[in-house]
Amino acid sequence: MRQRARFSRTVVVGAAALALVLPLSGCGADSGAAADDTIRVLVYGDAANKVEKEIVATFNKTSKVKAVLDTIPGADYQAKLQTIINSKQAPDVFFNWGGGSIKPFVDADLLLPLDPFIEEDPALKEKFLPSVFNSAVVDGASYGVPMRGTQPVLLFHNGKVLKKAGVEPPETWDDLLAAVMALKSDGVTPIALGGGDRWPTLMWFEYLYDRIAGPELFEKALAGDREVWASPDSREALGKIRELVDAGAFGTNYDSVKFTDQGSATLLATGKAAFELMGSWEYSTQQDAHPEFAENDLGYSAFPSVEGGKGDQANIVGNTNNFYSVLKRTKHPEAAAEFLKLMYSDQFVKAQLGIGNLPTTTNTEEFLDTAASPEFATFQYDLVKEAPAFQLSWDQAYPQSAATSMYQALQQFFNGSLDEDAFIAAMQALPTP
Amino acid sequence: MTRTATPAGPARPGFLWAVPAAVFFGLFAVVPLVMVAVLSFAHWDGLSGPEFAGLDNWRTLLDDPVMLKSLWLSVLLTALGVLVQTPLSILLGVWAAGHQRNRAVLSAVYFVPMLLSIAAVSVLWRAVLDPNLGVPAHAAWLFGDGNLFGSQATAIGVLVFVSTWQFTPLHTLIYQGAARAIPQVLYQAAQIDGAGTVRQFFHITLPQLRNALITSVILMVVGGLTTFDTVLILTQGGPGSDTTISAFYMYQKAFKSFDYGAASAVALLLVLVSTVISLVVVRLSGYDKMRSTMEGL
Amino acid sequence: MSRTRPNFLAGFGSLVWLLVVGLPLYVMLVATFQSRPDYAANGPLALPGRFTLDNYLDVLDSGFAQYFLNTLVVTVCVVGIVLLLVPPLAYTIVRSRGRATGTVFRLFLLGLAIPSQAVIVPMFFVISEAGLYDSLIGVILPTAAFAMPVSTLILSGVMRDITPDLYEAMTVDGASPRRVFFQLVLPLSRSGLSTIVVFSALQAWNGFLFPLVLTQSAETKVITLGLYEFQTEHGVDTPGLLAAVVLSMLPILLVYLFARRSLVQGLMGVGGK
Repeated sequence: MRQRARFSRTVVVGAAALALVLPLSGCGADSGAAADDTIRVLVYGDAANKVEKEIVATFNKTSKVKAVLDTIPGADYQAKLQTIINSKQAPDVFFNWGGGSIKPFVDADLLLPLDPFIEEDPALKEKFLPSVFNSAVVDGASYGVPMRGTQPVLLFHNGKVLKKAGVEPPETWDDLLAAVMALKSDGVTPIALGGGDRWPTLMWFEYLYDRIAGPELFEKALAGDREVWASPDSREALGKIRELVDAGAFGTNYDSVKFTDQGSATLLATGKAAFELMGSWEYSTQQDAHPEFAENDLGYSAFPSVEGGKGDQANIVGNTNNFYSVLKRTKHPEAAAEFLKLMYSDQFVKAQLGIGNLPTTTNTEEFLDTAASPEFATFQYDLVKEAPAFQLSWDQAYPQSAATSMYQALQQFFNGSLDEDAFIAAMQALPTP
Repeated sequence: MTRTATPAGPARPGFLWAVPAAVFFGLFAVVPLVMVAVLSFAHWDGLSGPEFAGLDNWRTLLDDPVMLKSLWLSVLLTALGVLVQTPLSILLGVWAAGHQRNRAVLSAVYFVPMLLSIAAVSVLWRAVLDPNLGVPAHAAWLFGDGNLFGSQATAIGVLVFVSTWQFTPLHTLIYQGAARAIPQVLYQAAQIDGAGTVRQFFHITLPQLRNALITSVILMVVGGLTTFDTVLILTQGGPGSDTTISAFYMYQKAFKSFDYGAASAVALLLVLVSTVISLVVVRLSGYDKMRSTMEGL
Repeated sequence: MSRTRPNFLAGFGSLVWLLVVGLPLYVMLVATFQSRPDYAANGPLALPGRFTLDNYLDVLDSGFAQYFLNTLVVTVCVVGIVLLLVPPLAYTIVRSRGRATGTVFRLFLLGLAIPSQAVIVPMFFVISEAGLYDSLIGVILPTAAFAMPVSTLILSGVMRDITPDLYEAMTVDGASPRRVFFQLVLPLSRSGLSTIVVFSALQAWNGFLFPLVLTQSAETKVITLGLYEFQTEHGVDTPGLLAAVVLSMLPILLVYLFARRSLVQGLMGVGGK
């Protein structure tokens, strides 16, 4: 009898373990199945989700088809998106950066062209700045409606540090070099750089290529002309970068510093560095982390001009905008269209401005004074509106498959472990769209 | 599970006993591995269906300097890990095997890194080693300009150090357990012969730790070759591709470049290398022969 | 312990190691009780400054409680699956003379050499096709599978130490393999069982790549991912991040405090005898 008791105890234990596992499998399965009368909206997860939640709520008030908001946090967004976009878990509407970031999806015939929607409601196109709207046009068809805001790259500075070293925000390349020397002798790192993240390093290449060769060089490279990387203009841009790095503008340990863990931003805020070239989000980052500094000493200016260069000093680089695109297989295209119309609504524009984003709708200008920091918003808006060219970040213009090798080449050229020729060869080897 | 016992021999379990585990493992480890092998001969970006690619991926990979470098880095990191951690954990383990009170207290502190996940440890060290906000800013005599993630040698040094920090407690415990199991008689006999502490260590303790050593080294090798979280969080394979070990390279190929075919080829290569290394370790250590020694009834 | 005289060299070495282990832990703890500006101003090595609990509260606010629960569920289930499947397997490996069993054993030995990263791409598609993407069960199944080889190795090592005459004695009684398993093998491999519990629990607790690729929403996030994301989001603060690290170790710390002996014994058991 004792044996019997013991055996039944193991049965009980086993059953208990199963009982633990089974309900789990139950709760696991239901999250995959979406109800039929919803559209799933997938966005990049960060602080701006607040506004997306509001918009979804507004939409759900009137719509019979309900929108459900899913978010994937920052760093993994693109990776996740591409893994699920052709699977059962694909969303109906999703966030992207336009250009190269949606090209592969268009090629795989996964996206819905939005032109029929625009025919029905021309405002879906006309309400946005054309230069921005066009960066989500692929092969002549529109695939994205702008959402969130534009994010140009600006040269931020610490006003207190500049003053102490007797330096003004640079207008020209020579100003910048002179400032670097003055700041160095003052004992501060002239320019903070989050080289550990790699994409901040890229910004220096983007601007110098633009200023020296004009936006055409990169457009040609993107179109498949590999020779431009070996052109004299390209070599001159590389020479300028070398000059700046060798002058000690970035200190020596930039490859161990990151922007994403606030390293470089803190250097700027605490006065250990004087400049940082960064996307417009630097402003909200500083407001969040170092409110006092953001209030008093955080300054910004456009990237300096380079004497004899072909690029206009008013050109900018960065993230032209974020977009919503719609999947072809969505069951509710009409609902998706209705949802997209909210992107030019007054409510949306005001909410975006309120959290420090800068939407690129034609009505943005009216609301600039309601922005979180009106002065900064106006500066950016004018910059974007008047820019002859707005170059989408290279890592987003190129196909995803190029990003890793591109980052490696940039970082290695910057820290001197690749020479000019090796860097040119590496860029020439990148796959183009 | 039928009664197969006869009075002549001991009852032995039938193969059925192993079936649930074998099926489960087959489904979630072997089947995917076979799929990896198949995928390594295909072009696939996950968007439009896989296309047969013949040997394309393999040809590209074998010409790819980063691939060969990544294999070398995987082996190097693993080897460095074994070389640093083994002597350290043997010494600590034997030391901790003593029953003195202070040793027990210190051992409890030494154990703490075990309580942290690999991700947590990496995040912690990234913060501690930040050149401007971390310890290096206050200890220039040791760290210089603190550019630890800016050169290959220092970045590898950090990776080896961080895994040593985290895993030494585990291996110390393994040796501690084994050292406590050494019969005291052996030491008493040696003392009568007049052998000192050092001689005792080399002539009694070390040989007695052989099995623990084998297990510990196997765990280190497996752990070393599968290092991933540490690289992702600490160095992201940089500077350049200087710490891009194979497992991380595969992840990049798959989830940054969306070249699942090439990623699968890297994965298969990694499996092959791990298998060869495991076989060598198993052979050298005689782990595979244990079966015959215990089957001697 | 007559053989151990005070050993100054060992004593010194042990203190150096204490410093290596302790310093980062000190930095971590001190940082978490300071505000962000204070930490930036004082540096990591400063003595504890103005005390605040805000970092911990912020972290808890950002959803870590849910991540804990998820990690706990994953860990318990993985251990459950390993405990259900591995003991019968190890028993067969040790006792069966069938050729098939040898093959299975070699398969599991090979399994040791399959890094979980290697199968992540097909694993994503298997889990996705099964409708288990972004669910905890989709993380549990592969994690358990990859905890099996080591567990099998450890447990079969322990089971081998059961002497043949014990089996003989039971067989003379006419015991079936099942009775031998439940009455002899399981009770005698208790130490091995606790070792594989600890080991598979640690593996599940540490799990990173499977959750990274197989889940996406906050409802299914595990702690390791929560930490990683905390670090990569724009505008992360070091004290908050470290507070999250401290919180992430609390559950295991509790286990350690209350079951130190069996945890340590379990890990010691990995080495066998």
